[in-house]
Amino acid sequence: MRFWRVIEPYIGFLLQGFALTVAACLLAVIGAVLLGALTASMRSSGNRLVRGIANVYGDVFRNVPFLVQLFFFFYGLPELGIYIGAFETGVIALSIAGGAFVSDVILSGILTIDPGVIDAAKVSGLSRVKIFTRIVLPIALRVSVRPMGSVLINLILTSSILSTITVNELTGAAKIVAATTFKPFEVYAVLLVLYAALTTLMSFAISAAHRRLNRFMTGG
Amino acid sequence: MRYADFTPYDIVLLLQGLGVTLALFVGTTVIGLLLGLLLAVVHHYRVPGCRPVIVVVTEALKNSPVLVQLFLVFFGIPAFLHVRMTPVEAATLTISLNTAAFAFVIFRSGIESIEREQIEAAEVFGLSRARILRLIIAPQAAAFAVGPLIGILVNQLQVTSLISVIGVFDLTKIGNILNLRTLQPFIVWAVIGLIYYTAAKTLAHFGGRIEAALRKSAQWGGI
Repeated sequence: MRFWRVIEPYIGFLLQGFALTVAACLLAVIGAVLLGALTASMRSSGNRLVRGIANVYGDVFRNVPFLVQLFFFFYGLPELGIYIGAFETGVIALSIAGGAFVSDVILSGILTIDPGVIDAAKVSGLSRVKIFTRIVLPIALRVSVRPMGSVLINLILTSSILSTITVNELTGAAKIVAATTFKPFEVYAVLLVLYAALTTLMSFAISAAHRRLNRFMTGG
Repeated sequence: MRYADFTPYDIVLLLQGLGVTLALFVGTTVIGLLLGLLLAVVHHYRVPGCRPVIVVVTEALKNSPVLVQLFLVFFGIPAFLHVRMTPVEAATLTISLNTAAFAFVIFRSGIESIEREQIEAAEVFGLSRARILRLIIAPQAAAFAVGPLIGILVNQLQVTSLISVIGVFDLTKIGNILNLRTLQPFIVWAVIGLIYYTAAKTLAHFGGRIEAALRKSAQWGGI
């Protein structure tokens, strides 16, 4: 295959890009889930101010394009005297944007919980923090595996946008390879199939996790 | 003299960018919805050989980054087929196909949400295929699909910001220009973000009203 011979010297470079994508996604997922759980707990709080702040955060970051958010952080943070690399900026932006979506998922998980369960926990004398971390979150997370998975897949796809702020993750690396080999069609077609394969595998894994975590549930 | 300050002309520039974004959004939405509908109908009637192709292509479009799709169309197709393609053409083609892929899935589940018995009953009454599609399937599928469709469209509005990367002068590109000229990223990107936010909220608001109107017929209205 002629295309393979052209692309072969760049395989290592592309794999480096892939590793960067994986690293960015892993870090961003951790950030997004932490931020999302915090926001969801704030949104289910009784305090109106706390709830309002969390709602505004979720609303703004879900309705502004990620590219604009990314540029805001990438060009804006140095203005504040915060000098971090493009990769770190990208991970922070991905976490913040992802957190807004994750909070939605976890919140709807929380809202499915039978109030009787929480009443029982209160009667048993558990503290509010304990109730949230030991009772509410485990149930909410179990219900929200599948929607969380689609947020995660979206995060992987969104991470390609980091290539616009000079992060040479998979898409950024492919851009360089396409420019040097002058085989843009082949390179981007392979890249498209790669991403599709990656996210499809991911959705299979999520379905398996969903079945495993909910194996004691009936009717679902 | 450096033109580093904001000028009144910047408002015109922003409006121009917003115009390009909205025009492209509306155009690709119309093409995408029609194409998605066509695919769903073809899929529903089991046209031989079409089903697997449609499913594979739409899944690939849904499961890959729009940025890569844009690069494939804008850089790849001209190099491969030796044709000329302007950024606007590439953007329109890519976003339309992307919207069509999402619309197809929604329309398909809308059609599948209708019970088989209804269609059989209509067949027994002697309605033609076209009439069944128009009078039985379409209204119910539309009421089912409109909610998810609004969600997808709000998302697609934000996806259009990516076309600035291949050089379309949309709102985000204008933001880039203003950012580089004034070096005031906080103000520039906050304003750009606010405009997108307002557009998305407006779209969601009107979408909600359309949904309420379509669902009215599905609710019990008394005798």
